[in-house]
Amino acid sequence: MAVHPLTPGTSPSTAPVVDRRASTRRTAVAGSVLAIVLVAVLAAVLVPLRDHLNVATAALVLVVPVVAGVAVGGFAAGIVATVTGFLAYDFLFIPPYSTLSVGAAQNWTALGVYAVVMVVVARVVARLDAARAEAQYRAGSVRRLFDLSELLVRDLAVGELLETIVDAMVPAFALDGAALLLPSEDGLELVASAGRPLDREELDRLSAHSAVPVTIGRTAARQGDVQVLALEASGRAIGLLALRGPAETGSDRDLLGAFSNHLALALERSQLREQAVRARLLEEVDRLRRSLVGAVSHDLRTPLATIKVATSTLLDTGAPVGPQDAAELVGLVDAQADRLERLVSNLLDMTRIQSGALELRRRRVAVADLVDEAIALVSTAPEPAPVAVVMPSHLPDVDVDPVLVRQVLANLVDNAVRHAPESEPVTVSATLRPHGRVEVAVEDRGPGVAADERTTIFEMFNRREAGGRGGLGLAIAKAFVEAHGERIWVEDAPTGGARFCLTLPPANQDATDVVVHAAGRGAP
Amino acid sequence: MATVLVVDDDRALLRALRVGLAARGHEVSVAVTGEEGLSKIALSSPEVVVLDLGLPDLDGLEVCRRVRQWSDVPVIVLSATGLEERKVAALDGGADDYVTKPFGMAELEARIRAALRHRPAEVTPGDEVITTGSLAVDFVHHQVSLDNQTVDLTAREFDLLAFLARNVGKVCTHRMILSQVWGSEYGSETEYLRVYVYRLRRKLGDPEGRLVRTAPGIGYALEPG
Repeated sequence: MAVHPLTPGTSPSTAPVVDRRASTRRTAVAGSVLAIVLVAVLAAVLVPLRDHLNVATAALVLVVPVVAGVAVGGFAAGIVATVTGFLAYDFLFIPPYSTLSVGAAQNWTALGVYAVVMVVVARVVARLDAARAEAQYRAGSVRRLFDLSELLVRDLAVGELLETIVDAMVPAFALDGAALLLPSEDGLELVASAGRPLDREELDRLSAHSAVPVTIGRTAARQGDVQVLALEASGRAIGLLALRGPAETGSDRDLLGAFSNHLALALERSQLREQAVRARLLEEVDRLRRSLVGAVSHDLRTPLATIKVATSTLLDTGAPVGPQDAAELVGLVDAQADRLERLVSNLLDMTRIQSGALELRRRRVAVADLVDEAIALVSTAPEPAPVAVVMPSHLPDVDVDPVLVRQVLANLVDNAVRHAPESEPVTVSATLRPHGRVEVAVEDRGPGVAADERTTIFEMFNRREAGGRGGLGLAIAKAFVEAHGERIWVEDAPTGGARFCLTLPPANQDATDVVVHAAGRGAP
Repeated sequence: MATVLVVDDDRALLRALRVGLAARGHEVSVAVTGEEGLSKIALSSPEVVVLDLGLPDLDGLEVCRRVRQWSDVPVIVLSATGLEERKVAALDGGADDYVTKPFGMAELEARIRAALRHRPAEVTPGDEVITTGSLAVDFVHHQVSLDNQTVDLTAREFDLLAFLARNVGKVCTHRMILSQVWGSEYGSETEYLRVYVYRLRRKLGDPEGRLVRTAPGIGYALEPG
């Protein structure tokens, strides 16, 4: 189905309605002139032959201008044509010629029959013509309504849709201006306008708070040259259409009524859709907030559980513990307090990243230092975390925020230690990659991560307590690594278990040069 | 006092629990994964299992269900999120009780004691009288006495108390109680339960719910005396 664009002045199907009467007058004149000319021409042809012709033949020939006149100019032109034909017939073809007197009685009959037949012919042809014009006009109306309705079902944002529609209405209904008003908190709000805008006074008159009563309903209410249409859907008023223009014909009013119903439905539909979208959004925000609270509460409660068990044991005078056990418990409390402190600063950094307030304090550091410090962070005193470090001797320095990267590595090591069997150490290794990048990998021999969980494991809101490795630690690690513009991922370790990898940027070009140079010096 | 197996993936908590439980006289063994936990339950037959719901390999709920297929060992579930539906699922899946992290040793000890009392050898549906503290429930004569004073209960109140008494020390979920006492077509009518528990507590002189304990959002338990 073709869509007809309805911008002002571009569409032939939306020609102004008011011109119809003026054009009727013009065609009547044209038809009359045509009829008179035809009568003159036919008379000029027939006059030399009139002595050889029957009186009735001339009458028959003179039917032609009348029919032509009616066809072109309607009934008025038909009357002019009939009078002209009658005079010409009487004057030129009924003896005695060149007078209006009629001789024989049979000539009276011919003249009378001519006059009656011509009037009837004019009437019938004019009726047919008018019916055709009406049908054409109705087809045009349907087309206009269709074109406007097409606009209503387009997938546009509400504001844009309203502007398009009001723009299209002005030429379609031959208006001077149109405006759409929707109810807002303080009365009516003008949301779209086209053509000559409503002035302050007119707007005030429409406003519910003004003292001027406004009557609106199915039939439009008029105020000066502005008429107001209420838009109703599901029995409630959802807006006002204010139209400026001349009083319209009955069929135009019907068309306007039909169209305003369509408009009201479209408006209601788009408003409902916006509400639905907003409701879905709120639901999603609420879900995220709840899972964040759940995640934070899980990660805070875990170290708290150890602290509480340790302190309540130490405080219980009924079940005393030996000095060695007491020392172990105090060490646990200390380590878990550190873990809580890390979690809190992690959360703060996370918030700063998300609000865009985190500034990377990049510095040139050695990867080995970062790894050592990270392991120290997760070690539970007095014994160090069971971590083996595999590091090549010539590794370029990296250009990172050491606080954040240390935290990332600590989170990964902590995660690995918690998931690896006790007898199997966690391995941290570093390798040089192209362009001087350093890849650090943290590997354990625990259960590994299923292929379909390798993305969600880094999400802050993945399911907890269902036996996953996820948690805030991995989400934070991802955020920190990505803040550096680098990559973090998880894969299968060759020994079974999981291998978390991340890349770190080289300190600068010189650093790689130094390494290459050092390697070159080593060669013979 | 008892042999306790603790299954949790958090090593720090395991170490603290090992010291804390040992100080209270328990013999403690630990497992860090669900599979390890299952094999230790099978091999060493502990008297009580303390099971974390968030394990790296198996869901704690799954461990609970598997254990129940071949063992009646009391299981106390540890949960960190405070999500009621997980605890209810664990209890429905066969766990006896739950403790929310963080918890003190006194609380865990109380749960372990209650769970040990509820060992099937001591209370079976076939018992004629169940006595817990000063409360005695006589199944043969449909009589309840408190401090040797007979307590008048309606039939439904007696059935409710009898069900809790058969599971003394174990948290019974709303669904369990409703389907067992009211009938299998019941399960979500917790408001019935609230009314009956309120009446039961009044008649037992227990307005604070020390005897019939409320597990908020989960169910009720008759506390061992």
